[in-house]
Amino acid sequence: MAADSDPESEVFEITDFTTASEWERFVSRVEEVLNDWKLVGQDSKNPLQKGEFNSGVWEEKSQEISFADFRFSVTHIYLKQEAAPSDGKDAEEDAVPVAMQDLLCMKNDFPPRAHCLVRWYGVREFVVISPGVNCEAIISESKCNLLLSSVSISLANIGCQVPVFVQIQQKWRRMYAGECQGPGVRTDFQIVHLRRVPSQYNHLSGLLDIFKSKIGCGLTPLPPVSIAIRFTYVLQDWQQCSWPQQPPDFDALLSGEVGGVEFGKLPFGACEDPVSELHLSATWPHLTEGIVVDNDVYSDLDPLQAPQWSVRVRKAENPQCLLGEFLSEFFKLCLHKESTEDLLGKSSLEDEAKDNSDISHALSKLTEPTAVPLPKLSVSNMVHSARKRIRRHRRADESPLSSDLLNSILLYLFPDAAEDKQSEGTPNKGVYPNLEGQLTLKKELDDANLFSQLKSAPLDSLTYRLALCICLVNFYHGGARGVAHLWQEFVLEMRYRWENNFLIHGLDGGPPDLRCCLLHQKLQMLNCCIERKRARDDGRKGTGVEKKGGCENGRLAPQSASLTSASPGKSWESWSDSEEEFFECLSDTDELKEVQPTEQERSASGRTKPEGRLQPHDKLTLLNSDEPLYIPITQEPGPMTEDALEEQSEVLAKLGTSAEGAHLRARMQSACLLSDMESFKAANPGCLLEDFVRWYSPRDYVEEEVTDENGQTVVRGDLSTRMKIPGNMWVEAWETAKATPARRQRRLFDDTKEAEKVLHYLAVQKPSDLTRHLLSCVIHAAILKEKEEEVAEDIPSVRRSIQQLVSLAGKLLHHPSPDYKKLEDLISQVAGVEAVIAHARSLKAKFGLGKNDTGEEVEGLRRFVISLLDEPEVSVIDAGRSYVGSIIHKLFVSAQRLADSSDEGILGEMEAALLAPMEDEVGRTDDRKATAGGAVGADFPPPAGREILLRTCVPRPAPYSKPLPQRLFCVLMKEDFRLAGAFSSDTSFF
Amino acid sequence: MDDDVLTTLKILIIGESGVGKSSLLLRFTDDTFDPDQAATIGVDFKVKTIAIDGNRAKLAIWDTAGQERFRTLTPSYYRGAQGVILVYDVTKRDTFSKLDNWLNELETYCTRNDLVKMLVGNKIDKDSREVDRNEGLKFARKHSMLFIEASAKTRDGVQCAFEELVEKILQTPGLWESSIQGQGVRLSEEPEAARGACGGVETVMLP
Repeated sequence: MAADSDPESEVFEITDFTTASEWERFVSRVEEVLNDWKLVGQDSKNPLQKGEFNSGVWEEKSQEISFADFRFSVTHIYLKQEAAPSDGKDAEEDAVPVAMQDLLCMKNDFPPRAHCLVRWYGVREFVVISPGVNCEAIISESKCNLLLSSVSISLANIGCQVPVFVQIQQKWRRMYAGECQGPGVRTDFQIVHLRRVPSQYNHLSGLLDIFKSKIGCGLTPLPPVSIAIRFTYVLQDWQQCSWPQQPPDFDALLSGEVGGVEFGKLPFGACEDPVSELHLSATWPHLTEGIVVDNDVYSDLDPLQAPQWSVRVRKAENPQCLLGEFLSEFFKLCLHKESTEDLLGKSSLEDEAKDNSDISHALSKLTEPTAVPLPKLSVSNMVHSARKRIRRHRRADESPLSSDLLNSILLYLFPDAAEDKQSEGTPNKGVYPNLEGQLTLKKELDDANLFSQLKSAPLDSLTYRLALCICLVNFYHGGARGVAHLWQEFVLEMRYRWENNFLIHGLDGGPPDLRCCLLHQKLQMLNCCIERKRARDDGRKGTGVEKKGGCENGRLAPQSASLTSASPGKSWESWSDSEEEFFECLSDTDELKEVQPTEQERSASGRTKPEGRLQPHDKLTLLNSDEPLYIPITQEPGPMTEDALEEQSEVLAKLGTSAEGAHLRARMQSACLLSDMESFKAANPGCLLEDFVRWYSPRDYVEEEVTDENGQTVVRGDLSTRMKIPGNMWVEAWETAKATPARRQRRLFDDTKEAEKVLHYLAVQKPSDLTRHLLSCVIHAAILKEKEEEVAEDIPSVRRSIQQLVSLAGKLLHHPSPDYKKLEDLISQVAGVEAVIAHARSLKAKFGLGKNDTGEEVEGLRRFVISLLDEPEVSVIDAGRSYVGSIIHKLFVSAQRLADSSDEGILGEMEAALLAPMEDEVGRTDDRKATAGGAVGADFPPPAGREILLRTCVPRPAPYSKPLPQRLFCVLMKEDFRLAGAFSSDTSFF
Repeated sequence: MDDDVLTTLKILIIGESGVGKSSLLLRFTDDTFDPDQAATIGVDFKVKTIAIDGNRAKLAIWDTAGQERFRTLTPSYYRGAQGVILVYDVTKRDTFSKLDNWLNELETYCTRNDLVKMLVGNKIDKDSREVDRNEGLKFARKHSMLFIEASAKTRDGVQCAFEELVEKILQTPGLWESSIQGQGVRLSEEPEAARGACGGVETVMLP
């Protein structure tokens, strides 16, 4: 390319690149990259807005090139801006490049977060060429010069006006040399870096001297130099407010009764102070030479008088936050491949066998009237005895969970056992102290559909509590082994309840709620089975056992009270002979009794005895008699969990879309219709299909007013055409249906089979499966916990983050097999929210913000503290004169008093040691530096860092040259002295 | 299979008995009309692939029985649906006045709250209209639904209804992306059928 640009080259001249040197090739590579990025020519830009360096978006792209075998990476860093209007471009033809104009711009001094070159030179766009990864630094002067001249040639060749920097010396020194070229102008960027501040330059006047001598301008008087100064003070001594949060005391959990409360809670907060330092920057943004005095004997620069204050806080890296750790440990469980048996050893299998035999033993004991007096029999008795039995079996040394712990966990999960304890008079009042209060708060926060959004389980349901317990056991009590143990006990308890007809508490009644997680559905399913089995068993025995629940009736029937503690009527007796495989509907005894007289009448009249009537229809009578039409007691189709449903719909879908497929599908689903027809026939002897249709599908019975031969209008009804199609399934089913009441029909829902399926399913779940099942509940609990904590702190940004968390979690958790990485990310976001709340707590404590303080000033302080969380740097309105300022001042004063009383030398060393590791952090170090002596306000420590920015616009190099921007940025710290200069010169007139 | 298909969508058709749900579906999938269409038992199922703006979408359409008694059974199939067509009969006012019940039902059993709903007033070929078009419009607007009047018999509006619904679903971000991996009904040949059905609907044949 270098050759191409030669205007003199003739058409027939051969351009020979064959002997091009490495250096030439490097230069052309640099040009290529700059061309690729379209960094060519004058580019008009919008003027910078105040604070735009902080609020705008910085973009970065890079590419690798090499010089011989030495690799460099070229990076283009720029502030994203909208394209400037292109009008008046011609007028600015030989304007100085944007970067040179930026040198003097005062709207973005000391940006809170920016690349160091941006801070030093105020540029909004630049290119950096730095040695590639694993390449040694460019140290020798000749190499530096070689690189710099390559850049110079490239820039000139292609007319690029973007400054290009070359990184020289060791990386940590952040030394750059660079150049910017414009039409007839050039700026050189140079950096001086020393370990110590030379004493003659340790103040403003010394630095002004360097600046002036460097400019070397012969004009007198010299145009005034504009000065901006920022001193940064570091506060790390927080002794006056020690970090209050202690890790929770988990030994207390083991000690018994209070356990129940603790199991429901998730731990929260940071164990150590998550805020390590406060940096106060006092800024004098606009001074002119001569207004302030700052030399080796005296300084005007008192931070209290500074016109601008800004504060930033340094957060501890990875503070130990309990909730986040809790979640990630739980999540790690899903990496375990071991099954429960692998984890607990073979013996557990034998145990289980023994347990099972014990259950049957217990059962027989139950039925022995002498052994267990029936009235005293209660759920909790059973739970207790079941647990005792379990405990007996496991030797203490082989169980990951101690029996005490297990006992309290099970009590928490199955509080129906504790209720009994209380009623027996055991002094156990403290089981749920103020749990009620907490729950109501949680319920308020629990958006009604949060569980369905997250596909978890309702707040405080058994599944939800189980998730919390598993989480806790995993974290504190034996990890995967503990979880396996708890799970085994849980499954045992489930089986026990099934076999002994005790409903599982803490689950909503009714069919599985498909909005919840699968495990919750499975437990609900088991409960449905227990309920039906109970209803059946109770009905059969028909003796004093209290009946709870009942089988739901069809929707066509008015909902009868589900809790009938009625003494069983005589009608039960007649059912006692039924076989188990029959469905028996036992509720609605009252209605049944009402029906009875009719039944007797019927049998007296010698017709078929109607059976299984629920109630007469409001209006309808049978078509061929005056008998009212009776709604029969019907079987309910069985409830289904989502996996079964999925299977079912797959089976149905697989039948295909052909006519045969559709027919087969209808047949498969006609069991319910057939059952209803049979019940209907039994309840309405002598009925017709028309009668059935009038009840079941009223619109398929068409009534018309017709005028008969006598001229009278009568209503004539008939089945709809579709019901009259010969051989249609309704007719077919009707013809097949025998008059059989629901209770003698084959069961549509085999509760025994279904319960065994659920129990088997539960038994084969590994700890890792449980994690998958319960993760949604744990996330749900964690989000609630964070909402609860946020309410106390009132942080708008956290509220927004929680909203985002919920929608992200909702998306992930609804997926049948969520991506592991994404879930991990979700958990770290949950932890992130926790950290922000912890930071807020810490800051509020430090600034002495109480919960109940009010008043305008306090509100201002509160806003200030909250914005410290969200923003990298917050300015203090009215600086040291404001209320916020006075509090910060006090913080420094009390820290100073402490420091004064201790040996200063030691303190200095300590600070240096503490600050040493920070220097690696790129781009942010400038304002937190070791003490550097100098001006000391009595109330403040010596500034850890001083930044002094000098700017002017003078002709250079000759007095008749064009006036051009000159800039020197000085950083003074205890062990770091840096001068970053940008000096422009006129290349036409010198 | 179906590599060129962008996604599989699950569509539901619900509404009172006899409003013509199965007829609408039959018109859409097979472009036929059977005046003697049998009353649906439980749920029925049809598949059709359509192209919308160059994207091919496979529709798994679940047709449900409208009888009240079947409503203990059919809502189980609402799960995971991305679109629903709610049908009423313009010649029978009671089928229109029960629409609220159907929306409640959807609310209760549908697992996603962003599914696209379409209201279809069927049987506009008949003379004995009882529900005015504006009433349908008003209802649809109130419940943020798509609305169209149609006739399965004369094919008016049928194709358009389905296409409109699918287009809307495809425009709703986050509603259908995940359908590729699960949620929707998988139609691949898996040996799962062998396990058989369990629970509510017995796979018993009539004798």
